[in-house]
Amino acid sequence: MEVEHQLWITGIFNHHLSGPANWLLSSLGLAHDPARPWSDWMVCEILVAAFIFIFFGTMRGRFSVDRPGVVQHTLELIYEFIHAQAEEAVGHEGPKFMAFFGTIFLFILCLNLIGLIPGFDSPTMYPMVPLGFAVATFFYYNAVGIKANGIGYIRHFVGPMVWLAPLMIPIEIISHLARPLSLTLRLFANMFAGEQVYLTFISLTKVIIPAVFVGLHLFVSLLQAYIFMLLAMIYVGGAVSHEH
Amino acid sequence: MKHLLMMISFALMAFASPLLAQAPAGGPPPVHAPSEWGRMAAAYLAMGLASGLCGLGQGRATASAAEAMARNPGAVAAIRFALILGLVLIESLALYTLVITFVAR
Repeated sequence: MEVEHQLWITGIFNHHLSGPANWLLSSLGLAHDPARPWSDWMVCEILVAAFIFIFFGTMRGRFSVDRPGVVQHTLELIYEFIHAQAEEAVGHEGPKFMAFFGTIFLFILCLNLIGLIPGFDSPTMYPMVPLGFAVATFFYYNAVGIKANGIGYIRHFVGPMVWLAPLMIPIEIISHLARPLSLTLRLFANMFAGEQVYLTFISLTKVIIPAVFVGLHLFVSLLQAYIFMLLAMIYVGGAVSHEH
Repeated sequence: MKHLLMMISFALMAFASPLLAQAPAGGPPPVHAPSEWGRMAAAYLAMGLASGLCGLGQGRATASAAEAMARNPGAVAAIRFALILGLVLIESLALYTLVITFVAR
């Protein structure tokens, strides 16, 4: 391939922190390039996670009931939005799982948006990061379903009639396994295609037109984060539903 | 107004930052052997077909949603929700084809 291009911040990480990263990767037995243990997406993901921690950690102490500020109003809007969506998509017990949905939404949103800042990369542009989210969602909705329904969770796979079970169970298992695949591909392909289209238009027409595509990418980032959260809610809703 | 124009043009210039990264990469476009042409043609055709059919599907979804919203302005929020969900799911089908295009290279 061509020259390995890394972001300036990945260069800082690789320059100063390569020792601990090399030790961790070798102890886990993963093959890596010793000169560049930190990858672009890992560094940007840690950056976004640290930003979210620090932002919400400091804002938490400044919330007040009598005199809410601008940030508190905005965060309350986002909270109400996720709450309403959870009630609509999951049912009456939706808001119980709001921690997971809110984390998915805000984390994916921030990961998508950091790619718009020059000098940073969207971690969701690399296939591993959306795969992590999708696998986490898969385990979460199955775990929630088993916790809510007990062993009766199997009834979701059986279908409407008991004698249809030998036909329905393979179909249901395959469709359940297709869910993390589709979640991963949707998020990854949208972000990756956005970047590729942007680079293509940069090489074709140098200015003005790529800015339009950045606007489109911004809209798609918001939409894809919302859709990931919505689909997670729908899957949790399907798993938690009590069949009568 | 002048201040606003200056800020807009500065933002457009700032968005063009990958231009700075463009200089070392590039060169002559890669030349493919004739044995690769079949695979490339299939990939391009598949992507065009997927995009066209996706466009048809999304057009139908949008048309139905617009008509439903015109008939029943009280249900606009629910219809908009169903529209966005449907559009994104149809879009993802075309994107699966894009990923297969990259796999087929």
